[in-house]
Amino acid sequence: MSLKNILENWSHYRRAHEEGGHHEYEHMWGMAIDLNKCTGCNACSVACYAENNLPTVGKDRMRKGQGLHWLRMERYWDEPDLGGDDKEYQERGGSFLPMMCQHCNAATCEPVCPVAATYHTPDGLNAQVYNRCIGSRYCSNNCPYRLRYFNFYSYYEESWPEPLNMQLNPDLSVRDKGVMEKCTFCIQRIRTGKDAAQREGREVKDGDVVTACAQTCPTEAIVFGDLLDKDAQVTKLWKAQEVELGRAKQDKSDGELRGYRVLEGLNTDPCVMYMDRVREA
Amino acid sequence: MFVSNKFLSKRRGKGVGQGKVSQCLAMFFSVLASVFIVAAAQAEVPNAKPPTGTHSGEDVPQPIEFPHDIHADINGINCMYCHTYARRSKVAGIPPTSKCMGCHSIIATDKPRIKKLTEYWENNETILWNKVHDVPDFVHFTHEKHLQRFVFKNEGMDVANVSEVCAFCHGDVKKMTVAKKVKPLNMGFCVRCHEANDGPSDCWKCHK
Repeated sequence: MSLKNILENWSHYRRAHEEGGHHEYEHMWGMAIDLNKCTGCNACSVACYAENNLPTVGKDRMRKGQGLHWLRMERYWDEPDLGGDDKEYQERGGSFLPMMCQHCNAATCEPVCPVAATYHTPDGLNAQVYNRCIGSRYCSNNCPYRLRYFNFYSYYEESWPEPLNMQLNPDLSVRDKGVMEKCTFCIQRIRTGKDAAQREGREVKDGDVVTACAQTCPTEAIVFGDLLDKDAQVTKLWKAQEVELGRAKQDKSDGELRGYRVLEGLNTDPCVMYMDRVREA
Repeated sequence: MFVSNKFLSKRRGKGVGQGKVSQCLAMFFSVLASVFIVAAAQAEVPNAKPPTGTHSGEDVPQPIEFPHDIHADINGINCMYCHTYARRSKVAGIPPTSKCMGCHSIIATDKPRIKKLTEYWENNETILWNKVHDVPDFVHFTHEKHLQRFVFKNEGMDVANVSEVCAFCHGDVKKMTVAKKVKPLNMGFCVRCHEANDGPSDCWKCHK
């Protein structure tokens, strides 16, 4: 966002949600995650580490909550009655919830940033500009999902000693200490996909852009695509579950509909839909 | 300069700060700004306002003192003959030694620089050219988009004159021997051109 945008279009960017969304979105990148298919194998998380130059911080720092895992696998032991004798770890396993930045359309992190380092792009993405970030951590404190991660240290030398630095992805920067970071929906892949489409003189079609997690998922539980594209697989999934942007409460009277968005009652309007896990009673 | 001009015109429109001194100042600056704009518009590339701003960079030592002037100016070789990837990739590309030898196995074989080149070629050694124009790692820059916009999809622009477009950011390489950084290539330099030519203004278009 240039100076021109801040001076002239700022209110336009800010107002977007109250007026029913940004009206000139080029794309609206979104996801659909089927928890029935998710086995909690963590491959998505590993793929994210590899794709996005995420440092490994070590056990101690992880315990302090300083881990930098843009995609984390949340594990719940929430049905103790279904298991055997052990009430803590049920016999039939836990439930898993892969959590990455939800790219909320009414993102709570955006209005609190004092330097406009986080803002909404016309692609429907919640962007984080590392160069502008001053590390106030307001955004992280205001995120109801706790999906923003802060670089408390510089991990470059520790995490990628030579020759491991050769594995770094050149399409995005290695963040240094003092900046906030989070899932970008693999913006570098989106950029590449859009460039390729433009080179061939066509519109971006479904399948041009696949995020690292969606590409890696062995059970294809994660589906990524453009919610404005009517033929995209993700749009069909959203439609089948009758989940739509801008509606904060799902009708749960029909048992067949499993779709929901995490904490949608807060009216954050996230772009990631989850499909509930169904288990036998 | 585009920004200051806009500020001034806005202020006058709203009727704020209408004092005589500020009015005179505003007139002075807008005249100054318009002089700059006219000067910028006089470039030979149609439909483009090239960025202004200069910066004298240090000389970068190269293994062979490659004379850009002899190739591009005197012999009129198109920039993209050697920097082939510029039109279809992020990077413009340094030509492989085989491309040099394509001509120099016959042309000017007695010159000392060509003898050095032939030596590299016969020993199967890579010539380790040093990078002159290097944008920071957090910047996504693609040559392809810029060349498509200003050369290939630019009505009235002749591909033979591509060096004028290259000169926006690389200076007049035609008159140089070894390439030298003469433009600042900082964010202000990029943004001024983006604003003048309606380039994208989204942070994530360039910052990664």
